[in-house]
Amino acid sequence: MKSNTSKLIFAIATAMTAAVLTLFLFHKSETLKDHSFIFFKYPQTPGLYATKDSVFISKQLKNTEKRIAASLRKLENLLPYGPYLLINTTQNKFVLRTRKEVIREGICSTGSYILLEAGDGKQWMFKTPKGMFPILGKIVDPVWIKPDWAFVEESLPIPPRNHPDRLEYGTLGDYALTLGDGYLIHGTLYQRFLGLPVTHGCVRLGDEDLEIVFRSLNVGSRVYIF
Amino acid sequence: MTGIFKNLSETVKRRVPLKWVVIFIAVQITAVAAAFLIFGLIPVSREVKNITATYGLDKAADKSALSENADLLFKIREREHYDSFLRSALALSKSDSISLLIDLSDSLAILSLKGVFLFQTKISEIEFNKGLDKLPVFLRDSLYSGPFMVEREFASIEKFPVVVKKAPKDTTEANADNSAPVLPTQNDVFVLLAFANNLVIEINQEEDDLAGSVKAWREYKKGYSKFFKEHNLALFKDKNAPEYLYRIKISIPREDARSIYRALPLKPFVLVRY
Repeated sequence: MKSNTSKLIFAIATAMTAAVLTLFLFHKSETLKDHSFIFFKYPQTPGLYATKDSVFISKQLKNTEKRIAASLRKLENLLPYGPYLLINTTQNKFVLRTRKEVIREGICSTGSYILLEAGDGKQWMFKTPKGMFPILGKIVDPVWIKPDWAFVEESLPIPPRNHPDRLEYGTLGDYALTLGDGYLIHGTLYQRFLGLPVTHGCVRLGDEDLEIVFRSLNVGSRVYIF
Repeated sequence: MTGIFKNLSETVKRRVPLKWVVIFIAVQITAVAAAFLIFGLIPVSREVKNITATYGLDKAADKSALSENADLLFKIREREHYDSFLRSALALSKSDSISLLIDLSDSLAILSLKGVFLFQTKISEIEFNKGLDKLPVFLRDSLYSGPFMVEREFASIEKFPVVVKKAPKDTTEANADNSAPVLPTQNDVFVLLAFANNLVIEINQEEDDLAGSVKAWREYKKGYSKFFKEHNLALFKDKNAPEYLYRIKISIPREDARSIYRALPLKPFVLVRY
């Protein structure tokens, strides 16, 4: 009887260990498959040109090089002719450049990704849109027309549209470039926050950077935000 | 129950018979061999057979021709692949979305929008799994270059690092809020992009040390294991499920990986040059 119980325990322990081992190996199936590839190989495949002579292949190679050169030219033609601006919203960095050279690079501030909940079902997401945007306008000494969220953030009553309380002077720096839908590239009073994602969706630049960007880009120039 | 435990301890205390040890080891070896066969050899064998039959590799041309013009054949294959990569990049430039170009030949990961290279970073490490490594180069170039749309993705960081903030109740609270910006936590960056054609691209940070939370990294590892487990389970449920996943792993600097992942839209297009 005693011996039978021991045998049963042994059988169960052996089976369970085997089951756990199998499960573990199932978990490691990808590694097993990789090791299995040691036992397999594909037949050598010389490819399409294998039966052709070297003269034919050389001719084909020349044609391929021509096609490559044509594609590279087409790709280069996709680049803007004038200066353009690249904005990295993750690293909060910008690069102002032309096809051939970098004019200026530095830090900026972009959308904070804050979702502001006003409590009455109203909410705003402060993110910088991504994509390609042409400059729609250039403004010297821009005036900020404060949107509703600016009042909600300060816990102040929201004034009616076009109310003088909505106008704020000097906040946006000396210049602004409009990208559409209320998004701007502008300056900031909060220079210490440059390089951090702290804006409500606009792109903030330092004073000197802003001036160079403003003077380099024209209406229609492209801004790539990613 | 108490009896069983008593017996167990007695069994352990006693010298285990050699026969039992042999049986135990034999069973475990059989289990390992069976697992290797079922989870490893059989799916790989099916995959190799399938590829060989589908693309007529068994009826390949004379090998002697290969050796004569080997250098020239290698060069034309490489240039034709580059040509097709450029043409795909041109095709992608018609899209309004940001796409990812992975140039393994020049070790670059590039974000592209409308033909403009927005951002590029050096790839410090490239790793293929055995299946992709052994695949004939012309098949790898034509089957696993793309452009492909990502079918499934997951990462150790959020795509959109949203911070929810309640509007302040009064001006005192508002003034307190304005003193310091709310910044999202910066976790480590590991990304897995899976495609419909069984290709998996892993973009990992090159830094070994974890800068962010260990919890986020563990969550990613959990999702990572789950992804492969689901794939392996599917093999038992569905006869047509893919037998093998072709994998490319690239390592790039952490902050560059973050920029790339966050810049890409949901279901982006990816193009690979080998």
